[in-house]
Parts: sequence; C-alpha cells; structure tokens
Amino acid sequence: MFFQQVINGLSVGGIYALMAVGYSLIYSLLNFTNFAHSITVTIGAFATFYFLAEVFQNIYAGILFAIVVAGILAMLIQILGYSVLLKKNAQRIYLLITGLGISTMCDNLVIIAFTSRFRVYPANFSTKAINVFGATVGTIDLIILAVSAVALIIVQLFIKKSRAGLAIRGASFSLETASIMGINTQKLILIVFLIAGALAGLAGALLGAKYTAYPALGSNMANKAFISSVVGGLGSITGAVIGALILGIGEVLISGYVSSAMRDIFSYTLLVIILFVKPSGLMGVDTGERA
Amino acid sequence: MLRVENLSFSYGKIQAVRNVSFEVKKGEIMAIIGSNGAGKSSLLKCVAGLLKPQTGKIYMEGEALEASAYKTVEKGVCLIPEGRWIFSNLTVEENLILGGYTSKTVAQGIERSYDMFPRLGERRNQRAGTLSGGEQQMLAIARGLMSNPKVLLLDEPSLGLAPLIVNDIMKIIQDANKAGVSVLLVEQNARKALKIAHHACVLKHGTIVKEGTGTELAQDESILSEYLGNVNKNKKDRLIINA
Ligand SMILES: Nc1ncnc2c1ncn2[C@@H]1O[C@H](COP(=O)(O)OP(=O)(O)O)[C@@H](O)[C@H]1O
Ligand SMILES: [Mg+2]
Repeated sequence: MFFQQVINGLSVGGIYALMAVGYSLIYSLLNFTNFAHSITVTIGAFATFYFLAEVFQNIYAGILFAIVVAGILAMLIQILGYSVLLKKNAQRIYLLITGLGISTMCDNLVIIAFTSRFRVYPANFSTKAINVFGATVGTIDLIILAVSAVALIIVQLFIKKSRAGLAIRGASFSLETASIMGINTQKLILIVFLIAGALAGLAGALLGAKYTAYPALGSNMANKAFISSVVGGLGSITGAVIGALILGIGEVLISGYVSSAMRDIFSYTLLVIILFVKPSGLMGVDTGERA
Repeated sequence: MLRVENLSFSYGKIQAVRNVSFEVKKGEIMAIIGSNGAGKSSLLKCVAGLLKPQTGKIYMEGEALEASAYKTVEKGVCLIPEGRWIFSNLTVEENLILGGYTSKTVAQGIERSYDMFPRLGERRNQRAGTLSGGEQQMLAIARGLMSNPKVLLLDEPSLGLAPLIVNDIMKIIQDANKAGVSVLLVEQNARKALKIAHHACVLKHGTIVKEGTGTELAQDESILSEYLGNVNKNKKDRLIINA
C-alpha cells in the first residue's frame, strides 16, 4: 500500500514538475511569473483528446501532438501578450496582470469552444495494475513517472550542456549582458517559452490520461505547480523538481492516510511555512523582491 | 571605420549626449575623456546598440548600425561596459564561451585568452563572481575579444583598480590594438588614456569641447587642469601618483 502510494505520488509530482519547471525557467529569465502558463496545460489535454478522437488513436502520437501545439501556443502568448511590454521594460506588475488576463480569457474561450464537459481519451495507457516488489502499481503511473523523468532530464541536459542552454543561464543572470555578447535575446526568450509550453503540453496530455480533459484542468493543476516552484525556489529548475516531488508525494500520502479533504490544506500550509522560514525557497538564492 | 554623426540622446528630460560626431579610424586608439556624468557611458551604450539615440546615426565601415546590441556585435563592434558586467553565476570559461557566441573559433579564442591572461587559465572552472576586481576586468576584456571584434568599445576599464593593474590593462589594450583591433577608449583617468591614444577628444556636458592627438591634449594644460578640477580629491591624488 505504502509503496503504491509513493509511486502514485511520484507520478503526480512528476507532472507538477513538468509545469513547475516552466514557471521557473521563465521566472529566471524575465523575473516574473507567467500566469498564462496554465492555459498551455489545458490545451495540451484537449489537443490530445481531439487528436485521439479525430485523427489517430495512439496515445503517444497524441502526446507528441499536444507538445507541439502547447509549445506553439506558449510562443504566441509571448509574442502577442508579453513581448511589447518586455521591450518597453514595463514594470513586472503589468506582465502579471497581462498573464492573468490571458489566462482568464483563454479559460473562457476553451469553455465556449469545447464546453465544460469532462472528456475521456478514446485511447489511453494500459489500465492494468502490475506487481512490483509485491505491491500492485498502476501501469499508467509508472509510464507517467518515466515519461516525466525523461522529459525533465532532456531539458536539464539542454540547459547544462548546450550552447543555447549556456546562453539561457547567462541571460538569466542578465539579459542586457547577454545581448552585448551577440545573443539575440528575443529569440532566446521565445526558446524558453517554447520549452515551458512543450513541458506544459506534456503535463496536460498526461493529466488528461490520468484523470480527464476539462477546461479548469490547467488552472487547478498549475496552482499546485506554482506552489511547487515557490517551495523549491522560484527560478531554480532543480528546486522546482524537488518542490514538485515533495508536494506530489505529500498530497498522495495525506489523502491516503489522513483525508483527501486535507490534501489542498497540506499544499497551502507547506507554501506558507516555506514563505515564513525560507522565503527564497529550498534551492533559491535570495534576491529580495519576488513577483 | 566607426563613424558617429550628430548623435543625441536623452533620458526623458535629462540630455546626456548632445550632437556628438567623431570617427574612430582603422587601427587607431581613440580616447574620449570626461569627468563623471559627462555622458561617456551613455554615448558608448548608444554606439553598442543598448540605447536608441533620438537623433543621429552610427556607421560601421559605411553601413548604418541599428539600435540592436546583438546585431552590433555581429557587425564587429564589441562593448566592454563600465562595471564589467561579468556573468558571476557562470565559470570563467563559460563567460569566455558566451563572449564567443558569434565566433566560429571559440576554442582558439579561449586558448588565446589564457595565453594573454594566465591567471584566468588557472581559474577557468572557478565561478567568475569570485574573481578579484582586476581579474574581472581581465576577464571582461578577454571575453570581449572572444568575438574577434574590429572595434572594441571600452568604458572606464581603469575604474576601481590599483595603479599597477591599470598599467597592465592599458598595456593589454595597446597589445590588442597592435594586433589589429581599433579601440574607442572612454576614461576619466585622462593621463593614462591620453598616453596610449592616437586621437582623443574631451566630452563635457554631453558635447565634444576639444579634439586633438593624444600628445596634444596631454600637453594642453588648460584641459588637464580644468579636467582635474572636476574630479574629486581621491581621483586627483591617483592621477598625480600615476603621472
Ligand atoms: N538610467 C539613467 N536615467 C536617467 N539619467 C541617467 C541615466 N544614466 C545616466 N543618466 C544621466 O545622464 C548623464 C550622463 O551619464 P553617463 O553617461 O553615465 O556619464 P559618464 O559615463 O560620463 O559618467 C548624467 O547626468 C546622468 O545622471
Ligand atoms: Mg560612465
């Protein structure tokens, strides 16, 4: 039972991590929280659903489609929503408001377009439970855990080893300095939105598989991912993953052993405690003001 | 080679640069001297594409430059800013690699940097934020040279450094120049800058008030005494000690 709960928690935490890393990447580069992030999660789930329903009934193909669609959507959000403000070097509060506006508007557009029904994927991962070390574990949880881990490792390798990744790390220290190295920072920002969107699309696709696709999916889950990235330390990718795993496992264990009504209370209590004890988060460096 | 024509720039109501024109010729070191607040950094930021001038044009080898920092680097103009702007979260070597972001010869550039500054080679895997001020200035210059620029823009490279290190830095600027890089050197430290400059001008309240060769201006007592009058006591002492 306990082992099964931990695997379940890791799979939930893995999905939170996919979203939390997106918050952290954008925060580290631009010093604001992209509140429009959640819509790319919702669209990831719906893209998978419609791909499976209308095009081709293969869950992996559906997930790939969701990654592409959500990545493009995130870049559009940057181009149409934020880029003008960023070029003017607007105060961060305007970016936050813009993000909230985009999020609210898109959530409603999704309801208009797809209705608020819960959609079950017509093709999905195997629902079989398998036996691992004497415990029964859902195949779907193992697959979600593996897919999330692979995606996070790829992103981490890209950031740590590639030329563009180095540019992102440099630019997260100072965009202006990066620009005088000959780096096209607008393009770099787009790449970061693409990565964040692709991860969010993957998260949405997986959430749709684990639960169902519905319009509030992104906002519900992104809240938890945002808490994860704050707990881990906004701007730190490793922190985001650690925060997400703590939250995922904690939530599942609390629902399993205490009460599922306590689950969200646990998340927000953890957030409050971290903000009191170490406002910069577990892995964060203190930079003063955060938004 | 690098020509600035009628350039003006203001931060809102504060006009920092007024109708400035000059040219850096191929192979020369040109110095712009001026006291604190004269508009030197604003001028260089305009040239580097970080600030967009309200009027005026900048030409590199006859081609007009856009107000875009990365495109300016691609055109062969590289700024080493006041305060060095080191990526202190990255290692020395990662700083150099980013300096060579537009270069096709990064490995050679890194090797050249370590030949030029053995201290950087010894600290290649150290976080750049832990270097001393002088080492950071060396890294800033090495990083700037990584893009193989045709023109190097240097904003007060001597700022905050001990006199002996200032001499080293000036020597390095001269070496880079002898290797074929044209230099636009902006300094408060007038004596040091004029000593190595082929041409120079004096910037005051955002306008050029005097031009000449380095030697001419160095001998122009009215300039130097007025100039010295504008700097604070510490700087003045430093200039005299260095003289
Ligand atoms: N970001 C800024 N906003 C407003 N005014 C500025 C800014 N930066 C510089 N200034 C003003 O512009 C003038 C020129 O500054 P600067 O170019 O830094 O001079 P210098 O480099 O010669 O010391 C000064 O009066 C300074 O106060
Ligand atoms: Mg200055």
